[in-house]
Amino acid sequence: MTQVVRAETAVSPLVPVVCKIVKIVLETPDVKTFHVSTPDGQKPFTPMPGQLGMLSILNVGEGMFSITTQGPNHLEFSIKKTGVLTDALHEAEVGQTVTVRGPYGNGFPIDFCKGKDVLFIGGGIGLAPVRSLITYAIQNRSDFGKLQVIYGSRSPADLVFKEDLFENWTSVPEMALDLTVDRGDDEWKGNVGFVPAFIEQLAPSPEGDKVCVLCGPPIMIKFCLQSLAKLGFKNENIITTLEMRMKCGVGKCGRCNIGSCFVCLDGPVFTLAQMQNMPPEY
Amino acid sequence: MKTIAKAKINALLDEIAKKSNVLAPVAGDGASKFAPYTQGAPVSLDGRTLLPPKDIFFPQTEKMYKFTNNSLEGSLESSFEATKPQVLFGIRTCDAKSIHCLDHVFLTKGFVDEFYQTKRDNTLIVSIGCNGPAEPTCFCKSMDVNPQEADNVDVHLYDLGSEYGAVAKSEAGEAFLANYAALFGDADVKIPEVAGFPLNPNLEGVTEKLQKMFDHPLWEEVSRKCLGCGACTYLCPTCHCFDVSARVAGDQGFRFRCWDSCMFSEYTRMAGGHNPRPSKKERVRNRFLHKLQYFPERYGELLCTGCGRCVSKCPVNMDITNIIKQVREVEL
Amino acid sequence: MITEKMRTAAKDLLEKGEVTTVIGWEKGTFWYNSTPVFISKPEEVDRLVFDEFCANNLAKYLMDYRNAEGKTAVFVKGCDARGVNRLVQDYQVNRDKVFLIGIPCSGMKEAPKTAEKQDSSKLPLLKKCQECATPNPVVYDLLLGDPVSERQVPDRFSGVEAIEGKTADEKYAYWQSMHSQCIRCYACRNACPACNCRECCFDANGLNWLGKQNNVQENQMFAMTRAMHVAGRCIECGECERVCPMGLPIMEINRKILKDINELFGPQDAGMSLEDKPALGQFKLDDPEKFM
Repeated sequence: MTQVVRAETAVSPLVPVVCKIVKIVLETPDVKTFHVSTPDGQKPFTPMPGQLGMLSILNVGEGMFSITTQGPNHLEFSIKKTGVLTDALHEAEVGQTVTVRGPYGNGFPIDFCKGKDVLFIGGGIGLAPVRSLITYAIQNRSDFGKLQVIYGSRSPADLVFKEDLFENWTSVPEMALDLTVDRGDDEWKGNVGFVPAFIEQLAPSPEGDKVCVLCGPPIMIKFCLQSLAKLGFKNENIITTLEMRMKCGVGKCGRCNIGSCFVCLDGPVFTLAQMQNMPPEY
Repeated sequence: MKTIAKAKINALLDEIAKKSNVLAPVAGDGASKFAPYTQGAPVSLDGRTLLPPKDIFFPQTEKMYKFTNNSLEGSLESSFEATKPQVLFGIRTCDAKSIHCLDHVFLTKGFVDEFYQTKRDNTLIVSIGCNGPAEPTCFCKSMDVNPQEADNVDVHLYDLGSEYGAVAKSEAGEAFLANYAALFGDADVKIPEVAGFPLNPNLEGVTEKLQKMFDHPLWEEVSRKCLGCGACTYLCPTCHCFDVSARVAGDQGFRFRCWDSCMFSEYTRMAGGHNPRPSKKERVRNRFLHKLQYFPERYGELLCTGCGRCVSKCPVNMDITNIIKQVREVEL
Repeated sequence: MITEKMRTAAKDLLEKGEVTTVIGWEKGTFWYNSTPVFISKPEEVDRLVFDEFCANNLAKYLMDYRNAEGKTAVFVKGCDARGVNRLVQDYQVNRDKVFLIGIPCSGMKEAPKTAEKQDSSKLPLLKKCQECATPNPVVYDLLLGDPVSERQVPDRFSGVEAIEGKTADEKYAYWQSMHSQCIRCYACRNACPACNCRECCFDANGLNWLGKQNNVQENQMFAMTRAMHVAGRCIECGECERVCPMGLPIMEINRKILKDINELFGPQDAGMSLEDKPALGQFKLDDPEKFM
């Protein structure tokens, strides 16, 4: 029989911490960012970029969300209105009690990215998990090479994190921002077109062992991967986050498996090289 | 070896029950399972129970915490209770192996599940070996289980006919045998030969072969007759998938975890409607790959202990031994 | 004998291209297991068998072939044929897309306790077969074998009356004990031809009709709701009770409802013909209105 080696944990992984919503930002008609702190104004825990938190309204349910960024005293979750729990969150007001447990997941491979140029690609709400690494890179600017963000959404109204896209990130040294929308409007002066085509148009070079971090709807990821392959990016350098329905968050309830990996524990961050060894069931 | 006559088992259980809770296969109406033993209750120690002992460590419904929530004020209170020391008596070797598999799931890799841990650490396990198949559908021998031996328990009993031979497998087991020494004798024993098993799947190379068979048309064929119920998963001693849900009444409620089944259609359905396993084929494939490929890849053990409960009770006779045979026969 | 006829019929239909799939039974794990099989090539028809272990109601599988190319053939015993009528009447299956091969049935047997081959004539009939009043298929496109004589069945509602005869406390204790054993595997629901909703209300977690705890109250909510949802449509095939791993007396609840329906709306049997509507799916002017 194989050896059973018990893990070390102090806290029961399934019982959360009570928190409150301290700020709500309306990003788009169906996306809100919730700032969450404990009742005495602290962060419930300190996640690494790319990690997840199980957010809950106690009498509605729990849901696993990426932690899009954090401040000294709060965590931020950017959430699209999609189902029972997210509907209830969108109805909630500042001061609403929520619970959070975490941090879960493996987070982005920061050490692997250090010293390299990084290309971030996002589609729609998919920018939310990627943003955690973008804000980390900005806060630790000298640890990384040149940064480029290619981001697209359905329309200008659907662009998330507008304050970052049009204010905060425009003044970061050696960081390029390239935005596109599927459909423009009367005021939109930027690129109009799908993200994969936009990538090929911009033709970012893979030189210098550049890392690419991408997240978006599955169909967009599929075509982006094709574009990145054409441009010559290495499979080990293409990093994405996968999503499955999750319940426990700690790799025990069995639900989020892709092959023998659990998205909540071994993921959600995977490289393309790793994904090619996993069954295509996600 | 220490020995005890089978006729004296009730006396032994009565003695143990004076000091701690005992869970044993109590005979009675309805399906056989491990239930609290009361003084003098008849126990049926022949064969294996229909319901496996997994619910002793992993109950079908388990409260985790109570909460109140009226939007601006919310609080929660953990429902965790340390388990009082108890004795689990009479599990078979297939079930003992299943507990080893559940230990891997609940106690390793990053987090320890405290609800499982307290039950596991406070339960003394007495297992009984089999000298042959308890039911026609048993095939433990083919699944890395020695029908006559269990090592990850506290006391193991060998079936010697009219008596059991007892061996301590842990310090707690030695203390147990010392405690009840008065009921045990000492004798030279001969452990019987193991009888033949009608079902003998050959597992050699199956995990490696399955790694190349994800898209094989075999899954379409074997999944057609499956009804998509959860009988196999709920009767299986190693199946451990669970859901987290809540019972709410107004402002108050509690969150619990409960068994769930990967065979149910909405198991992997996400908010927004996307379901990576939309049909029976994907779900049936996932179940068998989990048992025979994914779990071995992750933990180094097969997740099937050959107890045969699924084979006997599946409404349509889905047979894992037959699927193993078909996998071996496939030409890649 | 019937087995030979099955294989010939299936081969004929597949070779002529009249159907694309034939649903029948083949041998399973042991000599006393016969299990559903899906044949799409003429060279595979020798897998088909008919013996005293072909208890599975194959009608339900037609739900998986609703959108298939071409027709689907299915072998139907008496109970299975009523199951097909059930599905057609519920607008789940198109009668024109199905080719029914009827097999008159003398009843299916209980599995023995050991794997050694023995004389199956000594094995008892399954409970559902002992209670069966329709051994001959009521609808078919082709009939294999001669009709069998109908069995002397015990009074249809004697089991119900035995429970009705208990005191209230005894009844309560009886059902509490039964439903404390239910493991909510949903085998009964999935095996039942009358349970054919695209999405079962108990799977729609968002709506929360039923929690996911396993306790007597929730188990009874499930059992009674399912019985009411199939009320008037239950064809008494007994599959629910046969497949229940815990041996719960599910048919007694269904028969209690049938008894009430017979008393309120006159004697009826579901699924006997496509012209008879389900009891609760129609309205007659002389229906009792005591509750109005």
